[in-house]
This record gives sequence, structure tokens and C-alpha cells, in this order.
Amino acid sequence: MSDVLRVRDLSAGYQPELAILKGVDLAVSEGEFVVLLGPNGAGKSTLVKTVAGLVPVHGGSIQLRGEEISDLPAHLRLRHGLAFVPQTENIFARMTIRENLQLAAQILPKPARAERIAAMMETFPDLARRPGTRAGSLSGGQRQMLAVARALIIDPEVLILDEPSAGLSPLMVSEVFDRLRDINARGTTILLVEQNVRAGLEIASRGVVLVEGRVAHDAPSDALTNDPIVADLYLGGHQKEAQA
Amino acid sequence: MTLQPIMDGLVNGAIIGLGAIGVTLTYAILRFANFAHGELLSWGAYLALTLSGALGALLPGLGTSLGPFSFGWSVPIAMVGSILLTAALTLAVDWLLFGRLRRSGAVTIILVMASFGAALALRNLLEFAYTSSPKYFSNALQISREILPGLRATPDQLLVVALGVVLVVLVHLLLTRTAAGRSMRAVSEDPQLSALVGIDTRAVIRMVWVLGAALAAVAGIMSGVVVQIRPTMGHDLLLPLFAAAILGGIGSVPGAMLAGLIVGLAEALTVQVIGAEWRAAVSFVILVAVLLLRPQGIFGKVSA
Amino acid sequence: MIDLLSYAAFFLTMALTYAVICLGLNLQWGQTGLFNVGVAGFVAVGAYVSAILTTPPIEGRLGGFELPMIFGWLGGGLAAGLLCLAIGALTLRLRSDYLAIATFGAAVVIQLALLNLEGLTGGPFGVGFIPRPFGALQGDADLFALSNLSVMIVTVLICYLALEHLVRSPWGRVLRALREDETAARALGKNPVTYRLQAFAIGGFVMGIGGAAQGHFIGFIAPDNYLPILTFQVWTMLIVGGSGNMRGAILGAVLVWAIWAVSGSAVSALFPTEQQARAASLQIVMIGVALCAVLLLRPRGLLGEAGTLRRAKTRTAPKISEGTETNA
Repeated sequence: MSDVLRVRDLSAGYQPELAILKGVDLAVSEGEFVVLLGPNGAGKSTLVKTVAGLVPVHGGSIQLRGEEISDLPAHLRLRHGLAFVPQTENIFARMTIRENLQLAAQILPKPARAERIAAMMETFPDLARRPGTRAGSLSGGQRQMLAVARALIIDPEVLILDEPSAGLSPLMVSEVFDRLRDINARGTTILLVEQNVRAGLEIASRGVVLVEGRVAHDAPSDALTNDPIVADLYLGGHQKEAQA
Repeated sequence: MTLQPIMDGLVNGAIIGLGAIGVTLTYAILRFANFAHGELLSWGAYLALTLSGALGALLPGLGTSLGPFSFGWSVPIAMVGSILLTAALTLAVDWLLFGRLRRSGAVTIILVMASFGAALALRNLLEFAYTSSPKYFSNALQISREILPGLRATPDQLLVVALGVVLVVLVHLLLTRTAAGRSMRAVSEDPQLSALVGIDTRAVIRMVWVLGAALAAVAGIMSGVVVQIRPTMGHDLLLPLFAAAILGGIGSVPGAMLAGLIVGLAEALTVQVIGAEWRAAVSFVILVAVLLLRPQGIFGKVSA
Repeated sequence: MIDLLSYAAFFLTMALTYAVICLGLNLQWGQTGLFNVGVAGFVAVGAYVSAILTTPPIEGRLGGFELPMIFGWLGGGLAAGLLCLAIGALTLRLRSDYLAIATFGAAVVIQLALLNLEGLTGGPFGVGFIPRPFGALQGDADLFALSNLSVMIVTVLICYLALEHLVRSPWGRVLRALREDETAARALGKNPVTYRLQAFAIGGFVMGIGGAAQGHFIGFIAPDNYLPILTFQVWTMLIVGGSGNMRGAILGAVLVWAIWAVSGSAVSALFPTEQQARAASLQIVMIGVALCAVLLLRPRGLLGEAGTLRRAKTRTAPKISEGTETNA
């Protein structure tokens, strides 16, 4: 298996003197579904934002299919096949559903645009029903769907999502997660930040736990779920009770 | 009272509207009130004056009046050159000043202040180069014709209004129907998300400057054709431009034009009813009224 | 033979009137971050109100109350302060640059009013016969100039001490907290609009006093004294001195006034009369360029220290990010 995304000894932070990430190593293989876990303030969000090009890199490297992208501005990283869905403000609320998708399709060659938009409308029938609606008037779940569709339009090598479940009802969360599973099943590599450890490990094949800006654990999901130390620390010890 | 103030108001309003489109776009996308925008009108007018003067001297045939208008081919040709040069000027100022401040993380008000300094330098540079005495594109006197009972207009004036309307429609279509326009609206709504969907925000910023400068140059030239060219012409129009941009709703192109026409008509009416000496106060009164009653403007959305 | 002593005293007196205006602007901008583009207008209001209150009555003009000078100064300050209060109340709850636009407009309208309300302002000819401090000493040039200077030194001192006291008071601390971290200050239950409004009005009051004082030292005011160039001059003074710094504001005023006076006389000495207007415009180009250069290179002012607004957390929307600056 080849690595799609490879992060090596990455340190980064908003201010030059204040590193939030302190030497992160992470590799994501083709077709994998990796969940990024960790306590609040561990740097999960910062890590994915740095990979997407929103946080200044202090040192280390970020490679996409072997190509160094850490010195590229965010809008060029997209052209290397990296799509990022931020946690909040991830759609253009003042524009229609169709315009949101058209914007994302703009970096594709002209003939491919309409076809990709149509493909997304097919994948997300909810959006296809009323493409002229202002995105701002959509429900929380629909917004996430639109944001995911927008990211998928370029058929990315890797899709990175920053807590898409935040603020959604449990029902909506399971719908969004089902979609992510489908997308992954069709071959798109996914890196997901998730607050809910159990749900994250359930959907992903591998879990990476970030603590204080460093990778503390990196193992297949079942191994992490069954690891008593991890269970104690991050699953609140409930795991043992459940097994008992 | 005659209908005449309406004509004067429309002509002036079209000029204000075109300038206000540039103000509203820079405000929406670069997020600061650009006090130097008025100077772009003056620079556009003076650059066109110089170019048309040179053209007229080289090829005297270009100076002969075009049909019913007061000017010859030299002016429209010079207008194209002036648009390009004014756009180049704004890009240079952005490269030298605003771009550097943006990258250093300066807050909005520092940009406003810098635009103030730039306005001062640009305006007085014109005064230095051309002196403060008024200039004209043509010495030909135009006779106004009666187009409706009690309403007279010169062909030049009608051209200004028509050109204003055509340009607004074009800019509106550009913003709503093209990929470039969509990108501009996207950056105005959320620059960071725009980068994440693959939009080069720097290219969009350059596009906005060029568009704003082009419209300002046209507005300045139109003002020069129907009134006169002075180094302070843009500075005198600055308050009407801001009033129109805010009245129309920041970011709204049709709003800026409609509000420009409203400001122009209100000025013309004030001149008629109260007196020409209070004309400059009209924009301020409109500005205060908008800020009191509907700060988001006619077409603006309620937002922070 | 020019009397050097009285000339120097007169020069310093004028420079100190600018220092007072500059101190007012410093409270608005340096301490509070409010951008006032209508300084000339507020200074004019202070000068005219004081002149109308203290001059002898003139046929065909309202006003001329012959009040003692101190009432004129306070009245002028009060009028300018109230005007700032009104404009601040209108715009401070809105976007940060609406205040700039509104003050710009206010200055335009004030200029218009000075020109057109002839019954009150004397129109383009202005108001003359403004009583001068220690007018009785006018026979002795040196004594007169020095006593005028001492009035101004005392005025600057009072303004300086009062403003320093204000800035160091709990009120001033809230102001600073609002500038550094508005969210935190809000969380403490401080309403930013109220505090900013107060600062803007007090700054206007001080500016008005500066304007009033200026009128009384020149003895004659006209609309031409209050063109936008005055606003630029005061801003340059503040920026050169370093915004946020009260002593810097005073020093900047004296320094820039000196440069202005010297370069102005250089222009009139070096250029033939017909070229002087052009040379003067070049002088203003330099001010504009200098203002931009200071913003770019020395955002804290030439002498400045505290009180930078750069990289401060603000209430504005997210700024345009031009990609990321890696390894910044």
C-alpha cells in the first residue's frame, strides 16, 4: 500500500514562537479511513488545518503522493488532490447550493465541471431537490452534506474533515457517517477529526491519538478500542464495564 | 419648477453610481473604506486628457467632433488607454502599500488610514503636474435639445446616462453569471473558505482593483466631458461615493448605481430648491439618514 | 530686524495649540482606536464657538457676547465634544470605518456651514477682533509673546495631566482592555460602545479647546484655516510622535509644526511666486507619502512605544488571507 498523505516531524502554530504541533508523524495509505482523536487542545484541528494550508508551518514536511506541499498556499494544495471540510463556516451561506458546487468545480477543466456537479447531485439527492436554495437556509445536516459534496467535487485523493458531527443531532450524525463510509468504500481516502472516540473508532479502520501536539498512539481501531490504557484515558473507563 | 433638475441629477448620479460600484466592491472584498478611490476618478480623467491631447496632436483627424458629441475619436480611444493605466496605478498602489499592510496583519483602520495618505499624495501629485486650473476635453459648446417638454439635455449628457446604465448591467452580469464574478462574491463572503475551494484570493483582489479602477476612470472621464477636469474632482465626489455605496448596501452593484442616482437627484433638487452652496451637504444628510434608519442600506443584508 | 525672541515664542505658542489638538486626537486614536478624519471640522467648531462667545457684537452678525475668554474656550470645547458625541452615537455601533466616513462628511459640512452661514460665521471673511490673551500687554512685543506662551504651556500641561490621569484611571484601563481584547472586556460586562463614545467625546472636547486657543492667538479665523490639510497635519503630528503616547503627541506636534514652517518658508524662498502653488502641492505629496511610509515601516511612530494596534484582536471580520505565510 502506498501512502497518500505523509506528515513528517511537523511543527506548526499561528504564531512563530508558539508551536501547537510539536513534531507530528502521520501516514495515511490509499483507501484508508483514519480517525484523529485526542483531548481538547491536543492539536487535532490544528493538524488538519495545517495540512490544508491554513496554519503556518514552522518545520517538518507534508507530502501528498510523495510531493511536498507544505510551502504551497491553500488554494494550490487543492490541485494536488487534497480536499478539506472545516468544522464551521464550511459553505457559502449567501450563495445557492448550485453556486457552492460551481465554485468548487471551477478548478476542474471546463468540460468536466457540469458532469461532476451532476454526479454530486446524484450522490446527495437532498441537494438535487432544490439546487436554487440559499445554502444559509439549509439545516445543519444538509449543510454538512453540501460541504462534503463541495469537497468531493474534485474527486480528491484524500478527504479531510474537521469534526463534521459537531452540533448535529445523533440521527444526523449517523447519516453523515454513513455517507462517509460509502465515500470511503468507493475508494476515497479519509482523515477524520472526531471528538466522540467511540463513534470515531467504530467508523474508521485506524485511530491516531494526538496529545499535546504529538502522536501518542497510532493503531488499528480494534486494537485501540481494546487497549486498556487508551480505554482508561480516552474512553472514560467505560470500556471495561461494558466488557464485564 | 421644471423637470430640468432631473436630467442634471441623472447625469451626475450615473457618474456617482459608477464610482460607488468601485467603492462598494473594494469595501466588500478588501474590507476597508478606500479613501483613495475618489482620486482614481481624477487620475482616470487626467490620463485620458493627456492621451487624447497627444492623439489629437499626432492625428488631428481624431479631434473632430463625433456626430452630435462634443469630442472626437481621440476621447474614446484615450479612455481605453486611461482605463489600462488607472488599473495599473491601483495595482501599483496595492503592491506598494495595501498588499504589504494586509500581509503584515494590519487591522482595517490602518488600511483606511493608509488610503487616506495615498489619497493625499495622489491628489497633490495631479495638482503638481497639471496645476489647479480646470481643463476640458473639448472647447466645443454643445446646444442642449428638448427631449421631453421642459427637459433639455445635451447629447453628451444622454451618452453619460446610457453608458452608466450599460456598464452597471455588464458588471452585474459579470458578478452573477461568470466564474470570475462568483469567485469575487465568494471572497467577499469568506476569504478563507474561498482559498479552501481553490480560489486564488490574490488574483481576485487584483481583479477587484482593476474593475474598480476601470469604472472610476470611466466615471472621471464622463465627469470631465460634461463638467470639467480638476485635481480635486475626485475628492469632491468622495462623500457622494461613500453615501451611495452605503445607501445601496455594501457589496451590491445595482444598489450602488441606484443609490448613486438617488444622491445625484437629491443634489440636483437641493440646488434647485435651497441653493447650490449647500449641494455638498446633501450626501452627508443622506449618509446620516441611512446610518440612523437602515445601516445595511437598501440592498444590504443585516449582518455584523 | 525681526525680534527673534518674540518670534520663537509665537512659534512655540502655535505649536502648542496643535499639541492640544493632537492630545485630543491621541485619546480618540492612540488610546481607543477611533479614526477621526474630520479633525479640521471639530477644531473649527471650537474656534468659531469661542470666537462668537467672546468677540464684541458686530452689526448684522449673530453672537458677539463679549464673554470672558475662559468661557469661550470651554464653550468651544463643549460644542466640539457634543458634536463628536452625536457622530459617535450614530456610527460607533456599526462598522469601524463608518466613523471615518461620517467624520469626513462632518468636516465637509462644517466647512460648508462656515462659508454659508454668514450671519453667524462671517462667511468667507471669517471672524475678526477675537480677543487675545493679555491684550493689554500688546505694546511690549516680548512680554506679550512670552505671556501668551505661558498661557499655552499651562493649557498643554493641564490637558496632559488630565488625560494622563484619565488614561491611568480604572476608566482608562477598561479602554485599554477593550482595545487589547474586546471579547474578554465584554465578558466583564463592559459595554464597548459606551466607553468608546465617552473617549471620542472627551477627545473632541480637547480638540475644540485647541481650536479655540488657536483662534485667540491669531486673532482672526476664516474657513480657509480649516481645510482638510489641517486634519492631515494633526494626523502626521500624532503618527510621528507615536500614537498612544501623550508626550509623543506633544513632541510630534512641535516637531512637525517646525518642519512645516521651515519647508513652507523654503518653498516661498526658493520658488518664484507663480510656481509656489505647485511646490506647495509637492509638499503635501510628501506628507501623504510619509504617512504611508510610517504606517508601513514604523507603525508605532518614530518615537512611539506603547499602544500599537497592529495584530491586535479586533471586532472586524476575518481578513483576507493571502495563502499562508510559511515560516513567518
